[in-house]
Amino acid sequence: MEMNDIIEELKASIIEALNLEEMTPADIDASAPLFGDDGLGLDSIDALEIIVLLEKNYGIRLANAGEGKKIFTSVENIARYVCENRTK
Amino acid sequence: MSAIAITGAGAIYGRSLERPRHLHALDLPVGEVPFTNADLKDRLGISAETEVSRTSLLGATAAKAAIMDANLDIKRISGRRVAFISGTTVGGMDITERHFSEMLSDARCAALLTHHHCGANTEEIADICGLGRCYRSTVSTACSSALNAIIQGARMLLTGEADIAIAGGAEALTRFHLLGFNSLKILDSAPCRPFDACRQGLNLAEGAGFVVLERADDAMRRGAKTLGYVAGYGNRCDAHHQTATSENGDGAYLAMTDALRMSGLKADEIDYINAHGTGTPDNDRSESAALRRVFGDVVPPVSSTKSLTGHTTSASGGIETVICLKAMAEGMIPANLRWENRDEQCIVPVTEAISADLRHVLCNSFGFGGNDSAIIISDTPVDLPCFGLADVKCSSSVEISDEAELGELGKYVGPMERRRMSLLMKAATLTSLKALEEAGIESPDAIIVATNYGMLEQGEKMLEHISAYGEEGLSPTLFMQSTHNTIAGSLAIRLKCHGWNMTYSHGEQSLDHALAEASRIISEGHARNVLVGLHDYLPEGFNRRLNLAGIETSARLVSKSMVISKNE
Repeated sequence: MEMNDIIEELKASIIEALNLEEMTPADIDASAPLFGDDGLGLDSIDALEIIVLLEKNYGIRLANAGEGKKIFTSVENIARYVCENRTK
Repeated sequence: MSAIAITGAGAIYGRSLERPRHLHALDLPVGEVPFTNADLKDRLGISAETEVSRTSLLGATAAKAAIMDANLDIKRISGRRVAFISGTTVGGMDITERHFSEMLSDARCAALLTHHHCGANTEEIADICGLGRCYRSTVSTACSSALNAIIQGARMLLTGEADIAIAGGAEALTRFHLLGFNSLKILDSAPCRPFDACRQGLNLAEGAGFVVLERADDAMRRGAKTLGYVAGYGNRCDAHHQTATSENGDGAYLAMTDALRMSGLKADEIDYINAHGTGTPDNDRSESAALRRVFGDVVPPVSSTKSLTGHTTSASGGIETVICLKAMAEGMIPANLRWENRDEQCIVPVTEAISADLRHVLCNSFGFGGNDSAIIISDTPVDLPCFGLADVKCSSSVEISDEAELGELGKYVGPMERRRMSLLMKAATLTSLKALEEAGIESPDAIIVATNYGMLEQGEKMLEHISAYGEEGLSPTLFMQSTHNTIAGSLAIRLKCHGWNMTYSHGEQSLDHALAEASRIISEGHARNVLVGLHDYLPEGFNRRLNLAGIETSARLVSKSMVISKNE
């Protein structure tokens, strides 16, 4: 699977898992920060939901939210991590 | 003025943190009570066929022990009014999760849902203990439930509403909350290490702890022995996050400060602190910050006995109060097991049991929703001010029973916040904000919620997910919003209300209990304006099951919020 496909897949599943009802994949800039006020404005609860999503969709197990923080900087970075570590 | 004596104590808990033997769930250490339900029934004289939740079996075992310890003959205490107050969150979930799928087709199974709700467990425990027609209430403030029940017991003696209070809490291990805690990534895969730099989380556990409270002069009159006296207490809200604690431990700091001020003791007179100390990176750092704010550089000896028992959630405040009483009687500070590595951000706990003359001890109990409470127990009587129930008025009242009315929420709450709200949360937020607006109050001084079902929408979705897929893909958002105190906690965050915060879940009587509490805290001087709400929603799945069992269900959605103020 190409990086770009994973990015699109991630955008769609993030919108679904985090109930970002008023958003479409096109509204998410893949290189923009996900957390904090300058980006999408996600918080620590969302980080936990993304951990669940990565485990369910790609078989990636992260031990804790701290580990997630380093990876979940942007959709692009998550996609790169998925490419390198996916088990399904 | 009156001193409140503790004349009996009873607790049941596991003493080792090992892989679960009875619970078929994750391969992580838990603190199981080493008795099966059959053993517990046998000891309580209950027939093997009678269905009783494990929470009730543990609760009844501890409550009976406390009553026996107090040398109280319940059948012979004519004329003395008894209040039985129990704290739980999980309630009869063990029965529900065992039969959840069958409950859709088998009416006899569906009828087991009568054990599900928190209040039903309190009723069961009181019945098993033979308490008869006494006052019964259920506090559900997540992990601080039992301590808040004990604090309420003491206060009902001060108001004169009761002459004997039996209070504490019970919680059985279930797959439901074990998988829920797992989804939050706060379980340690090894036995927990509170305050250690390498700590990775808590170990879930079960148990129950109850105490018997009486006014000291009554206790003396009947020649009862006294284990200790309630010297002070505090109930505050962190108002920061549903499950995480604030960096400086605001709620914990305020609860401990209130308790100390009430006791009239100076900080350096506290001889021992039984910390909440769950072993999660977050809690222990934040509790340490709060302890340093209260006690300065010289913090009294601290230990977390969760290193022995595991985290018994709603029961922990009861069990740890009993452990404190035992420590005072034996003159021994219990050890904080497995602590090895110093964390600069944490206090250094007592790592080996040491002899000490314990005159005044502080016990902390914190919960999801930022429900933070503390109690101080002394070895000599401490006179506390008595108070009546305040004369109160309802300054405003707003009710919603139709989903169609929820569209108005958009005026108050943005989409990023709304996206996580369940239907009940939306209704509760809307009626609360409108009631405050109507009363002309920006933020109340205290928040009290009554709920029979609790956050059943989340509970139902979790149960459905677990029975279909097990642990995989379980949503942490669902679990963190599944505790009954979610509404009171979320409202406190929104309204920045660090004041008194309570949630009652005792069937149809929940609202009466909440209103009585509003009157108590206004009289006690904790608040002038209290936001009180009754919030319940019966989701489709539970509704179908209850109907199959022939249990009549009332309106599916009820959300009523009121501002209760002092009548001046």
